[in-house]
Amino acid sequence: MNRVQRLLIASTFSATLVVAVPVSADIAVVGNAGSGIDRLTQSDVVNIFMGRYRKLPTGNVALPVDSTTLKARFYRALVNKDLAEINSYWARLVFSGEASPPQQIATIDDVHQLVTQNMNALSYVDGGQVPDDMHVVLMLSE
Amino acid sequence: MRRLLPVCLGLMLSVTSVVAEARPLTDDGRLTFSGFGTLGLVHSNQGDAGFIRDISQPKGADKGWSARTDSLLGAQVGYRLTDELDAVVQGISRYGEDGNYRPEVSWAFLRYRPDPSVQLRVGRLGWDVYQLADSRYVGYAYPWARPPVDHFGILQLTHIDGGDVTFKQPVGSDLMLLKLYAGRSSSKIYLIDDLSADFDVDSVYGGHVDYETGPWRFRTSYTEVHSDVGFSGSVADQIEQIPFLALDADTVLGDIFGFDRIRLFSLGTLYDRGPLQVQVMWNRSQTSRHEGQIDSGFVSVGYRIDRVTPYVVASRVETSSTNPDNSDIDQRTWSLGARYDVTTNMALKAQFDRIDTRSPGFLWRQDDSDWNGGWSSVFSLGLDFIF
Repeated sequence: MNRVQRLLIASTFSATLVVAVPVSADIAVVGNAGSGIDRLTQSDVVNIFMGRYRKLPTGNVALPVDSTTLKARFYRALVNKDLAEINSYWARLVFSGEASPPQQIATIDDVHQLVTQNMNALSYVDGGQVPDDMHVVLMLSE
Repeated sequence: MRRLLPVCLGLMLSVTSVVAEARPLTDDGRLTFSGFGTLGLVHSNQGDAGFIRDISQPKGADKGWSARTDSLLGAQVGYRLTDELDAVVQGISRYGEDGNYRPEVSWAFLRYRPDPSVQLRVGRLGWDVYQLADSRYVGYAYPWARPPVDHFGILQLTHIDGGDVTFKQPVGSDLMLLKLYAGRSSSKIYLIDDLSADFDVDSVYGGHVDYETGPWRFRTSYTEVHSDVGFSGSVADQIEQIPFLALDADTVLGDIFGFDRIRLFSLGTLYDRGPLQVQVMWNRSQTSRHEGQIDSGFVSVGYRIDRVTPYVVASRVETSSTNPDNSDIDQRTWSLGARYDVTTNMALKAQFDRIDTRSPGFLWRQDDSDWNGGWSSVFSLGLDFIF
């Protein structure tokens, strides 16, 4: 078996994996590839997206970004809550003037642009469709 | 107005809506507009006294239906000056101390966040005296028709004019939070028949420590309120009209109530994990005369099943002093209700309260001063929304 054949087999194998991932449908929490952050724990991500504590391990201020198309899946996987509960949670913090919710971005392209341009941005994408220029800091299983 | 109109119309028409609370009004997202409201109906079977939501309400809900007790509308405008500095102004229209719906400024402050660990606010702020106290009019934020009256209804202030500072410190995967605040305030509360107390609060200060671990959030807090209290109403007039004694009603009543210096100590726990929500709180307020104190607390348990969250609440308030009088309160309430999330910005609620009033004090409004307690049933329907 020559090198080309091995490469072909390997790529076929990984292509199968890529196809298989959306079935298990995980959510990938992603950041900027150059952010210097390797991994975040689930409680780090809860703290950042729920407005409790927004400091990154690098010391910078995290900029959480909600992707409105995936928002329901993300919060179900992160804190087991639906969007009405998330809005109820934020209503308390916003109208007591204590904290602000993540920035809301409607299209996946805009989320991609924001995360790749801002060193401290964090968002989430479908676990099966992580773009090469985004860095996965946490996988949330659904 | 041309911008507000579509927002209001959108609110009325939206059936399913993916909402971000802060709605940008400008393209750069610096200026935001958002709001909250409640359309509430209360039915009471108590013919001898009027049911109130809190002691700022001059008149209660009499026997039959009333929309006045819980209905309200609030709106907030935010402006982001820099990433660290923003300004927030919030107004509310509700049935409160003036006996009408005249809108008032709830908050108006500058907020400075130089770092995720520190937040400074200056201006008019919510009175964060115990957990949920500064969001008690935001019906969409909690499961109940209204926060338990026995615990939240006795609060004297809604806001302070001053400043606060919050420090956050991670402890492993837990979070510790310290908040300190100080300022001035004013308010009016209604006591027994036709007697109200005007609080001119020279200084109100306090702080709390929160500890958050997993789904738990614990708080312990302490507050002092120093006020000049003026009394008005027919009782005050009668005192001053007593022949030959030349009494000053503020002195006489001030000596009875001891409201010039109130100290509040409280403990609270919130548990929130997946479908289960539990709130447990306790507060002791000490007044400056006759070892007067007000103890209150409640336990609430809710469990979300799809879009419906049924809940039960047990609450209690009791005053004590070495000089008992007819302003003393002793009351327990059992509540059963459910919240139904119609959309992601609108919830319907129904709640049934059985209230065991052993001494109504100033928690009920009564034209017939002979009423000294008994059982009441209060049924509430509410529509809470945010926009």
